[in-house]
Amino acid sequence: MEKRSVPVQLEKVTKIFRDPKTKSDVYAVRDAQLEIESGELVTLLGPSGCGKTTMLRMIGGFELPTRGRIRIGGEDVTYLPPNARATATVFQSYGLFPHLDVFDNVAYGLRVRRVPKAEMATRVMEALGLVGLAELARRAPGRLSGGQQQRVALARCLVVRPKVLLLDEPLSNLDALLREQMRVEIRRIQKALGITAIYVTHDRVEAMSLSDRVVVMKAGVVRQVGPPSVIYERPDCKFVAGFVGKVAFFPVAVLAEQVQGAVACSLAGRRVLAGSMAPGVAVGAKAFLMARPESLRLGDPGDGACDGTVATNVYLGSSVECFVATEYGEILVQIDDPSESRLRPEGSKVSITFDETRVRLLPEGEE
Amino acid sequence: MFTKKKILAFLAACAVFLVIDLWMFSVLRGSYQKTVLQDKKELIVALARSAPAEAAGMDPWLTEVQKAYPGLRLLHIQGIPGIAQVQAASLDSELKSLWSARQGAVSFQTGIEAASYLEVFVAPEAVRLGQGKFLLVFAPVLNKEGDTAVGIVVAAVDESVLTSFIHLTYSLSMIAFLVFALGFGIPTFSRDPLTGYAILVLFAIVLTFVAYPLFEALRLTFVHEGRFSFAIWKEILTNKQYLSALAGSVKLGTLTATLSTVVGFLFAFFVARTSLGGKKLVTALATLPVISPPFSLTLSIILLFGNNGLITKRLLGLEHFSIYGLGGLGLVQTLSMFPIAFLTMAGVLEAIDSTLEDASLDLNASRWQTFTRVTLPLAAPGILSSWLLVFTNSLADFANPLLLSGSFRVLSVESYIEVTGMNRLGNGAALSILLLLPTLTAFFVQRAWVAKKSFVVVTGKPSGRFSDLASKPMRLFLLAFVVLASVFIVSLYGTIVAGCFVKNWGIDYTFTTANIVEALQRGKAAMISTVTLAGIATPIAGFLAMIGAVLLVRKRFPGKRLLEALMMTPFAVPGTLIGISYILAFNKPPLLLVGTGAILVICYVIRELPVGLEGGVATLRQIDPSIEEAAADLGADQATVFRTVILPLIRPAFISSMSYTFVRSMTAVSAIIFLISARWYHITIQIYNFSENIRFGLASVLATALIIIVLAVFGLMRVLVKQSEHLEKTVTVQ
Repeated sequence: MEKRSVPVQLEKVTKIFRDPKTKSDVYAVRDAQLEIESGELVTLLGPSGCGKTTMLRMIGGFELPTRGRIRIGGEDVTYLPPNARATATVFQSYGLFPHLDVFDNVAYGLRVRRVPKAEMATRVMEALGLVGLAELARRAPGRLSGGQQQRVALARCLVVRPKVLLLDEPLSNLDALLREQMRVEIRRIQKALGITAIYVTHDRVEAMSLSDRVVVMKAGVVRQVGPPSVIYERPDCKFVAGFVGKVAFFPVAVLAEQVQGAVACSLAGRRVLAGSMAPGVAVGAKAFLMARPESLRLGDPGDGACDGTVATNVYLGSSVECFVATEYGEILVQIDDPSESRLRPEGSKVSITFDETRVRLLPEGEE
Repeated sequence: MFTKKKILAFLAACAVFLVIDLWMFSVLRGSYQKTVLQDKKELIVALARSAPAEAAGMDPWLTEVQKAYPGLRLLHIQGIPGIAQVQAASLDSELKSLWSARQGAVSFQTGIEAASYLEVFVAPEAVRLGQGKFLLVFAPVLNKEGDTAVGIVVAAVDESVLTSFIHLTYSLSMIAFLVFALGFGIPTFSRDPLTGYAILVLFAIVLTFVAYPLFEALRLTFVHEGRFSFAIWKEILTNKQYLSALAGSVKLGTLTATLSTVVGFLFAFFVARTSLGGKKLVTALATLPVISPPFSLTLSIILLFGNNGLITKRLLGLEHFSIYGLGGLGLVQTLSMFPIAFLTMAGVLEAIDSTLEDASLDLNASRWQTFTRVTLPLAAPGILSSWLLVFTNSLADFANPLLLSGSFRVLSVESYIEVTGMNRLGNGAALSILLLLPTLTAFFVQRAWVAKKSFVVVTGKPSGRFSDLASKPMRLFLLAFVVLASVFIVSLYGTIVAGCFVKNWGIDYTFTTANIVEALQRGKAAMISTVTLAGIATPIAGFLAMIGAVLLVRKRFPGKRLLEALMMTPFAVPGTLIGISYILAFNKPPLLLVGTGAILVICYVIRELPVGLEGGVATLRQIDPSIEEAAADLGADQATVFRTVILPLIRPAFISSMSYTFVRSMTAVSAIIFLISARWYHITIQIYNFSENIRFGLASVLATALIIIVLAVFGLMRVLVKQSEHLEKTVTVQ
């Protein structure tokens, strides 16, 4: 299949729903500003009800934005109906036509476009081959497994050669093993076709492993956009930090900026260093120091940034999760080498040390 | 959507259209006025020619003209004012007093002047004379030589002749403008114009054929001699005859509802809560009366228990027994309506989780205690709602009382007699509106109370096993009852078939096939017209119902609740009221439909739409909306989505709504009895006529033919729906 892809732009897109009970306006999406490049796979990530599906449905043409513009390949498509857009959607529930078999499901988009029969047959079989279902062409969709239905839905979208592929939590109805398999497959096909794709999910692992960039949303607002590594390692707020992975926060006072971006701060009087700071953090003000479990180490009492007592050790095979009770709550420390010598028995007094390059300062205030 | 550019373009287009529209309207008005006035003018000039020149001939001439043209109001002026002595004469006192009062007015002066120059003049301003407005036409009376005016004839021409036509053209031009504005505005402002048009069309249909006629009927009951009054309602609510009809309806409804509920409950308990065999057969038999044509059960009851009945006269030799009246009606209505109660309560009893009964038995309650303390209370809301359902059905029933009521009065028949027998449309309308009140009350009781008290929770797990609550004698009783009732029903249908082959029921029981020949010959025209019209109505109702269901379930638009309410209204409105309101609303232009086949088709469609709509809505609710979204996403427009995805998926509802419409249209009585014409007759009315004329053999033949058609259609529906059963499964699995 030929490569063709286009950028997608959202300009100040807002969607307001009217709550019929309270008669008040609810912002499903608020002033979303987004530039998706050609051939990129972008994930919309957030807890349920954050507006990610609404955003996808607006791009697909199933919902109209209350305000703002949507451009696909530079063309303003804000008010175009779904059938006039170069998008194709894989729905959460697949939306396969139960009265048509697999072949006719995939052929549907070509039939309504009046593609000649011979060409249609080749394209359908090509698409089914791409998802590995060529031999099930005459099955009824009701007699397919979840993963197979999912592939049919994908093939049905790909066969019409959309410029943008939209995927609405496509893997949420599959079991864990199949989900991992399909994730790899979707990424492979997307890369092979070089198609622009927008993927909605609430699963951070899915988002991290699939995307070129991740868009983290909360309550209708885009909180941060960036590649998975940036989102994970250099989040801009407590919400993003907490949503994409396990994290501990320590309240600190920012003392001074030092060479190479490191920042000196004080944690209850003890001087600690942070490798970076998020926008909105100011010298002299209070801030939160975020630390992932893998950027923390255990030491003897008094050595590190704060003291505590080992509460529980959870053995995970490749690592051990050690929960330390401190004055900042229970802090999770990941011990990568679970050899006996590195482990502290439950109840022993320890201190926690930061890996300076990997801890980051986040602004105080709302989540 | 609403960009400035679009709004401006829309307004500009509307303005252009409005200008053209008004221009055409004024041209039409002008030319119509000209031709009508020209006619009048010519008439008046000709009359003026014949007017006498002397004062003595004035009165006889006026009397003569009055005789020839009774509507014309004339004033004869002898002599030209200002030139000669003037003497005015008229048989019309109002016109004469106008003359004496307004002699000096400008229009009169101009008219007189024009006449003196031998010209005809029409005063541009209408004058008020008594009730209406009139245009004054002045024509000269000539002397013998024909060169000088010696007098003037002033004629008052009723302006309403002009205005009624002009009003009609005006409202038509406004409708044209509205249609243009909507037809142009929807594609301009909506990104889904097809849906917009569908909503518009449905609204137009229900407003014209549901809201408007009902409003007309209601309005008529408040009009007496041309003005607003409560006279009709006062008469309805004080007249003994009408009140006894109301009491009769309520009495009959109560009797039928109670009997039907008892019989229906026994049947339902037999089918849903015992392990006795033959359930399928019993269910099929019990549903037979629901679909059987009207008059058929009444007919066979008359054949068996009537004045010359097989049982009453022949076997028992009773001379003074009469089946006509409350008793016979209660029997027939119970027979034809207990299936409603049976189906409702079977559903309720089946939905009761039998583990509750098991728990009660386990806690050492006896079977009777379990039945009275667990089963019955759980089923109570279902029992009440089935009672209400039968009650409203009994009130609305028209066919059975028409044949069987005798001297017993019920509202539905009373309103029919008022309209067709006495030609008192207002009273008929009021009586049938009265019929609506108990129905509405029952509906609200149902909503307020039954819905709240409903305990039955559908668990989705059909419990195949249950403890048999009935003791052995109880089971025997149930079995005996059900078998006897079923045999009775079957024998009733058998009687109708037997009736076809008997020479003269009650008197001469010899075998003959003459009835069949005669009935088919005499009923052929009615049969063809019935099948034709029902056949036309069927696809229309089917498509409208499905489109309506899609709009109600899938689309958001202002006025959705109103549209739904209007579409569902005919379900609650008794047929007699619909019939009466249709003859009131559609016997005048622009919708002069009475007497055409169209009004029957419209009546069928409107009356059967609610059931199809309900079916479509229920089916569509079970279908994942993303299936339709996927189709649209893949490039299908709204029409294609409807044709290739929605319609195949709701096919079972579509087919059953069509077959239901067909059967109900074939068996309609109450509404269409008002609307039929010699050209478009209905087979059921033919059955009624034959029965009224004691030609029971002929009636039996037609009733049998109708039963065969109905059964065939339902059989066909079964086959067609079964084909799409695999669909239903996959739809629900997803």
